[in-house]
Amino acid sequence: MLKFVAGDRAVVIPASVEYELNRQAHDVPAVLQVLGADWIEVDRSDDLPFLMAFAKYERRLAVGEQNRGECGVLALGRTRGFEAVLDDAVPRAVAKEDGIQVTATLPLLCHAIREGQLAVATVEALADDLLSGDYYLPFAKGGFRQWAYEQGLIEYG
Amino acid sequence: MADVDIQTLGERLRVARERAGLKQGELATLVNLDRTAVNRIETGIRKVTALELSDIATALGVRMSSFFEDPTPALVSHRSSQGLDTADSKIDRLLAGIAADVEFVNELAPDELALPGEATQQPRPTSSSEAEDLAATARTMLGVDSAEPLCDLVDRVASVGLLAFSTDLGVDTADAGTILLRQGGVCLMNSHNKVGRRRLALAHELGHYLVADEYTVDWRVADQRGGDLESLLDRFARSVLLPDAGVRASWAQHEPRTLREMAVLLASRFRVDMATLARRLNELGLIDRDDVALVRGTTTTRADIVEFGLYVPSDLEGTSLPVPYQKAVLRAFRDERISRERALELLHNTFAEADLPALRPRREDEIWTFVS
Repeated sequence: MLKFVAGDRAVVIPASVEYELNRQAHDVPAVLQVLGADWIEVDRSDDLPFLMAFAKYERRLAVGEQNRGECGVLALGRTRGFEAVLDDAVPRAVAKEDGIQVTATLPLLCHAIREGQLAVATVEALADDLLSGDYYLPFAKGGFRQWAYEQGLIEYG
Repeated sequence: MADVDIQTLGERLRVARERAGLKQGELATLVNLDRTAVNRIETGIRKVTALELSDIATALGVRMSSFFEDPTPALVSHRSSQGLDTADSKIDRLLAGIAADVEFVNELAPDELALPGEATQQPRPTSSSEAEDLAATARTMLGVDSAEPLCDLVDRVASVGLLAFSTDLGVDTADAGTILLRQGGVCLMNSHNKVGRRRLALAHELGHYLVADEYTVDWRVADQRGGDLESLLDRFARSVLLPDAGVRASWAQHEPRTLREMAVLLASRFRVDMATLARRLNELGLIDRDDVALVRGTTTTRADIVEFGLYVPSDLEGTSLPVPYQKAVLRAFRDERISRERALELLHNTFAEADLPALRPRREDEIWTFVS
């Protein structure tokens, strides 16, 4: 599904996200598929501008190993000009503050539906899964389809 | 953040490691690197990744950003004059962390901290009477008259830009330390001491702050050790907490009582310990040398608290943070400028997650931003 969402864009994750995924792989084996995907590139930047950007965001977001993934995403956005995919409010606000182009999972999913790469039902199920976790979406469980129609993000089909 | 080259970064890492008392091999073990890799990073030969640097910072008990920032000038000059292996390294590390946190929070919510833009520097006292004068000036700056007790000392000193933090540092360490920041100052009080001594130590630190001492660590405030300035600032501290006019008025009010009862009542009213009260009463000529020992030896009992209806103070107890700082952290959290985890850390874990305010609901237009 991630591949559909990405479309023909290059997908880059920072080493800090790779690290978080590796940790999650113990509990969620499906994560291994992401780590093994050949269309995802891991950025292991160690240049000083990247380190400084990472440190700047680390001061805003991270405690120990927590939230280091977001710091890496923001640092790549800042130093490489990449569009950042961020779903939590605080890193999104930080990105906006720093002029980093930012999107989120939901618009990417809607885009994939419009491109005919994902079925509405598939995304609906995924949205409900996200809402079961600690995830903010502008509708309640089961509400994706109705919401997306109302917003004109997907077409009646 | 200031521009830093790889050699400067390596050098800063080395200094932070040595300050933390770790050998290269010990740090290497903590962060799963070879000792040679740590050595090469410190000499600027090997690059360090963001994750490695984050792990190193955690192992050294500093924030990653500290390697890229110019630290508070007062801290730099103190450290360069003291070298690395100082006896006060624990309080030094804690103070450095607090100073960095306050300056960080001040970038995000300066209105809440309201640190003074201009220095509040006063002349250093050179005699007891100048120490008394400085105390009178300080009380005016704190917004209290020449007689009333300084009950809300922590809030009052915050109003002149000195943010007082406390934590239990244990028995064999300093009473307090203070660093001047680019704006305002911070001090850390050892809450292991009893409340009267904590308040006396804070009043003493206020003296250092007002005369613009860049960095101080004070041991055993008011035991007459240290140089002249320390003794004069002890005098200043007693005078701030026990103002001449207020003490005399209370003394006259309670005059018919026994000396013990008067001591209990005055110590409670002005929230000082008996040793401080005894010295102050003696220097104001209210008791003689023989009575000093009696007042010093007085203990406030539970019966006194009940029968006299006394208030039991709790200033600077355990880990405590000044209110303007707490407000500034909460503001930064509400404005979504720092993460929940960082907010809790900046609040020194004195808040549980449920104590933080609920974030505001999303507005309709923000949802459009979200999906655009």
